[in-house]
Amino acid sequence: MGSLFLLGFIVFWDTYIVELPAINLTISPKVFPYAVSALLMGLSLILAISILRGDTALPEGHEAGTPVGKSDFKSFGIVLASLMAFLLLIENAGFIIAASITFFGITVAFDNKKHGRAAIFGTIFITVIYLSFTRFLNVQLPAGIFKGLL
Amino acid sequence: MNNVQSLIDGFASALTLTNLGFGLLGTFLGTLVGVLPGIGPALAIALLLPITYTVSPASALIMFAAIYYGAMYGGSTTSILLNTPGESGSVITALEGNKMARRGRAGAALATAAIGSFVAGTIATLILAFTAPTIADLAIQVGSADYVALMLVAFTTVSSLLGASQIRGFIALSLGLALGLVGADLQSGLSRLTFGSDAALEGIETVPVIVSIFALGEALYIASRLKNRGWNVIPMKGKALMSRQDWKRSWKPWIRGTFLGFPLGVVPAGGSEVPTFLSYSIEKKLSKHKEEFGEGAIEGVAGPEAANNANAAGALVPLLALGLPTSATAAVILVAFQTYQIQPGPTLFLTNGALIWTLIASLFIGNALLLILNLPLVRVWVQLLKIPRPYLFAGIVTFALMGAYALNTSIFDVQVAIAIGILGFLFRRFGMPITPLILGLILGPNLELQFRRALQISAGDYSTLWASPLSKILYLVLFIAIFTPIMTRIMRKVRKDAVAK
Repeated sequence: MGSLFLLGFIVFWDTYIVELPAINLTISPKVFPYAVSALLMGLSLILAISILRGDTALPEGHEAGTPVGKSDFKSFGIVLASLMAFLLLIENAGFIIAASITFFGITVAFDNKKHGRAAIFGTIFITVIYLSFTRFLNVQLPAGIFKGLL
Repeated sequence: MNNVQSLIDGFASALTLTNLGFGLLGTFLGTLVGVLPGIGPALAIALLLPITYTVSPASALIMFAAIYYGAMYGGSTTSILLNTPGESGSVITALEGNKMARRGRAGAALATAAIGSFVAGTIATLILAFTAPTIADLAIQVGSADYVALMLVAFTTVSSLLGASQIRGFIALSLGLALGLVGADLQSGLSRLTFGSDAALEGIETVPVIVSIFALGEALYIASRLKNRGWNVIPMKGKALMSRQDWKRSWKPWIRGTFLGFPLGVVPAGGSEVPTFLSYSIEKKLSKHKEEFGEGAIEGVAGPEAANNANAAGALVPLLALGLPTSATAAVILVAFQTYQIQPGPTLFLTNGALIWTLIASLFIGNALLLILNLPLVRVWVQLLKIPRPYLFAGIVTFALMGAYALNTSIFDVQVAIAIGILGFLFRRFGMPITPLILGLILGPNLELQFRRALQISAGDYSTLWASPLSKILYLVLFIAIFTPIMTRIMRKVRKDAVAK
């Protein structure tokens, strides 16, 4: 909750320090950000109070599994690492490599045991997606190291 | 009447081969995302937004509307056979429909859900076709200050009526507003919350945010918090058909559900939860088979399903006539309009009349297609649930990242997507509703624009904001929307204490 308050303060501070442009405006572009920052800080305080009074957050039910008591940060980490891999590889290595690695990483995080099969299936799937989006829908995706090959 | 002629013209252009093809594709995709757990219509449409660069506005919007309707049909199939409501509107369907399926009446439950959705969808679309232009006509006189009030009301009802905790709804909304602030201010060029990043100057794109908060946030959440091996699908015996008795018991709930769901969709009353619950309790009261409720009463599926679909159609009225989305999916459709430089609102029927009537006509066609697609093919859809969970989520995540990247081929959008994905995880973990955040992000800049416009006209006099009669009424509604949940909570507590004594 502290982070929420901090965010509100950041919005306030950022708005406070910037200098106004010389144009004469009836309504300053700062009014709205001030309101948002006040809202954020105020609400975070109310939330903090209600949590202290015992109103803890309850995640809503979900359809895809049974909840576990304690977060599994290993799986969380694998998913996050897969996302990061995509971010780092997309422009250098190209879409096919980046997305295939992400795909494989997610299957690992979701307790898939047959790793070889997932890797092969994922790569084929991603290649098909790449070809159909670039050829038929004209959506541009980086070719990376396969430039000129596909 | 003029509207009738426009609607007929709309049918003519919706029935061209291309548009019909996109409509069919949309119903197919919509049912697909409705059936599959983990993807909703908002995410599906957001992922498909990049194609708006290559497809004509009519075709794309027809497809998106078909996805919107289709997801509702698909969702009821999953609720009945799996007992896992994909969205709040099908909670009731899961309750009663799943009981029916367990008693070997899955076919009848699926049939009454699908036919009920068709009946409700058709009637509601008809009402939409004749009310939306009228409301738009009235709304032309609505000024900037009234818009400010209207948006504040929409924000409040969506934030305080959705989800369990009012305060969390408002926090989600403020975060969305803060995200909407990022970038150069349109009127003065002042850069806000960019922290020196050039890429951030253009603001945060809506699409990566929507895509990642649903897809990446869900993936992170489910990977770390939910463990499961496969789903427990109830096998379906026989065909999706209803007996004469079922028809007799279903048609009245369908009609009642429709007339309950539609108006509650038009006024932003916080989604499909309220009308479906209301419909369920009404059917329970009116039914001659009260003892069957809770054990699988067909009325308990027919009514809420119809209410749910009519509600979805009703939500299109404020979207088209006022440019005000009241659900996450409607918000994404608004973004789709905006990528074509079309601003939904009072003038929409004048500036893009042909397009809108084509869209409305396609809703009728889509409904009919969905009925055909769903009843005989329901077994095919159920097969989809056999896709292994790891592959399903791997596919969703890679699609989401691709969607975030492809829209502007920008690495900044992917960074935003991952950051928002983590935020989405935190939202899920701490029970924060997502819809207010999306509404805040999309409508926030719009709210600021109207706010400043109103004050510029009045030369900085704030009293202009509540000068008109309409805005006074709206602020009264706002007040009620904020304080009713608080009051009921206090009342409940007082009553509980009294009982305890």
